[in-house]
Amino acid sequence: MDILGLLRFYILYPSFFVTVIFPGLVFTLLLLLVTIWFERKAAARVQMRIGPYYASKRLGGILQLVADAVKFVFSEIIIPNEVNPTLYALAPVLMVIASFLPIAVIPLSVIPPSGSVFSIYFKDFYDPDINAGVIAGLFVNYNLLLVLAIESVYPIFVVLLAWSTNNRFAVVGAVRETYLSVSYDVILLMSTLAMALEYHTLDIAKIVSYGIPGIVANPLAAFLFFVAMLMGSSRFPFDISEAETELVIGPYTEYSGFLFVLTMAGSYVGNFIYALVFADVFLWGWYPLSGFPGLVLTVLKAVIVLFFATFMRSVYARYRVDQALRGSWKYLLPLAFASLILGMVVGYVWIR
Amino acid sequence: MDKVKEYKKANPFKLFGDHVQAIGTGIKYFVRPQRITLKYPEEALSLPSGYRGLIRLYKDVCIGCTLCAMVCPADAMKMVTQEGKKLPTINYGRCVFCGFCVDICPVDALKETGVHDAAFTNRRDLVFYPDKFNKSYDEPPTERVVKKVKAVVDEKRGIKYVPDE
Repeated sequence: MDILGLLRFYILYPSFFVTVIFPGLVFTLLLLLVTIWFERKAAARVQMRIGPYYASKRLGGILQLVADAVKFVFSEIIIPNEVNPTLYALAPVLMVIASFLPIAVIPLSVIPPSGSVFSIYFKDFYDPDINAGVIAGLFVNYNLLLVLAIESVYPIFVVLLAWSTNNRFAVVGAVRETYLSVSYDVILLMSTLAMALEYHTLDIAKIVSYGIPGIVANPLAAFLFFVAMLMGSSRFPFDISEAETELVIGPYTEYSGFLFVLTMAGSYVGNFIYALVFADVFLWGWYPLSGFPGLVLTVLKAVIVLFFATFMRSVYARYRVDQALRGSWKYLLPLAFASLILGMVVGYVWIR
Repeated sequence: MDKVKEYKKANPFKLFGDHVQAIGTGIKYFVRPQRITLKYPEEALSLPSGYRGLIRLYKDVCIGCTLCAMVCPADAMKMVTQEGKKLPTINYGRCVFCGFCVDICPVDALKETGVHDAAFTNRRDLVFYPDKFNKSYDEPPTERVVKKVKAVVDEKRGIKYVPDE
């Protein structure tokens, strides 16, 4: 094998391609800028403003985000006196890792036996359940469970981060995050459990290959997952932990410079991961395409879900923490039980 | 012990409907935005003629009585001596555009112009010494064309800008 072919083999190897290039680190970085730009522009459109504009008039001000990013990256990182510097610097990094790690196990497309650029990896990523290869960083049978298990570690790192910065606002924000994480994780897990019961599997690839989108099969679970996604990644109306008008920016108050970029990226990346799961489980994922086009289709759906989640900023105000808890325990939890029963019934009657 | 007041009972279906309606309104505005932002350097509101703007000095008329510096409530006006004559100098960093100096001047050596763009790139430029103060600022000091607009009340959008001739 010549050197170019070898290079192509290793670059397109799913474990590298998915986690680093698309939709991994490189794509996520670009997506982060575009998402924040979209969030500001959408909120401005709805609120009769224009939003970022003068940095690049032709591109609608998207270079403003690049300028902001450059400013943040090159600004000084101030470490407060009474903190442990190691933990202080490590906590945001760990947080981003915890929110980004699940991308390694989410199946994003299938590999047909021949005819695709990924077909040479067919045997390495073979999924016996659907009789095809799977484009994922690492193929595991119980990936639906594993994604949510890794992603649910994220609030713990938020608490660690807030504790290590030794700031009152940060601690209050972390306490709010803890309250919320207890309530949204239950709903998130129950709605995915409903889907697992409905499709008789914990493998996302198999759920997609059934050919029935989850939002049709169980709309309750889709709604619950979406609301829990908003809570879990602190989007409006649930950005209670980082409430800017009350708590400066919540757990991330003490951070500056590049570490602040990481803390801000954490929730957006988490939202993107949840959106990928949402696109796979509820919006039919890559179906009916396969290979690289299927991968693009899945990511496109996830990006639309992510944009819709950020669009909520322009519509909603913020809930108080007690209102959010009351809503999630009083209304959404019974709904989650209902979705579980609906999933069981539909899984018994319709989806064999 | 009194019973803690329970939240207002609400119909959950109505709540859900309200949320859907809110998101629908948001999407409506997103698709068809009704922006009322004025892109200021390119467009500017034409202001009424009595709107106080930058002040100019007629150096030859001024008798150097120092009344303007005395009455100035913000200490923006100061007197400087130039070639044996006392002349006012103004600091727009302090000026509150109250117009007292114009009112008190016994020989009408100060005049309010119709220029309101008091923005400078440098703090030193905020201070107008008599030579600069003497110049007419009736024309806005800009190379680009400024579109003058005026605001009118609109039934649908609340406020609308139309070009002003």
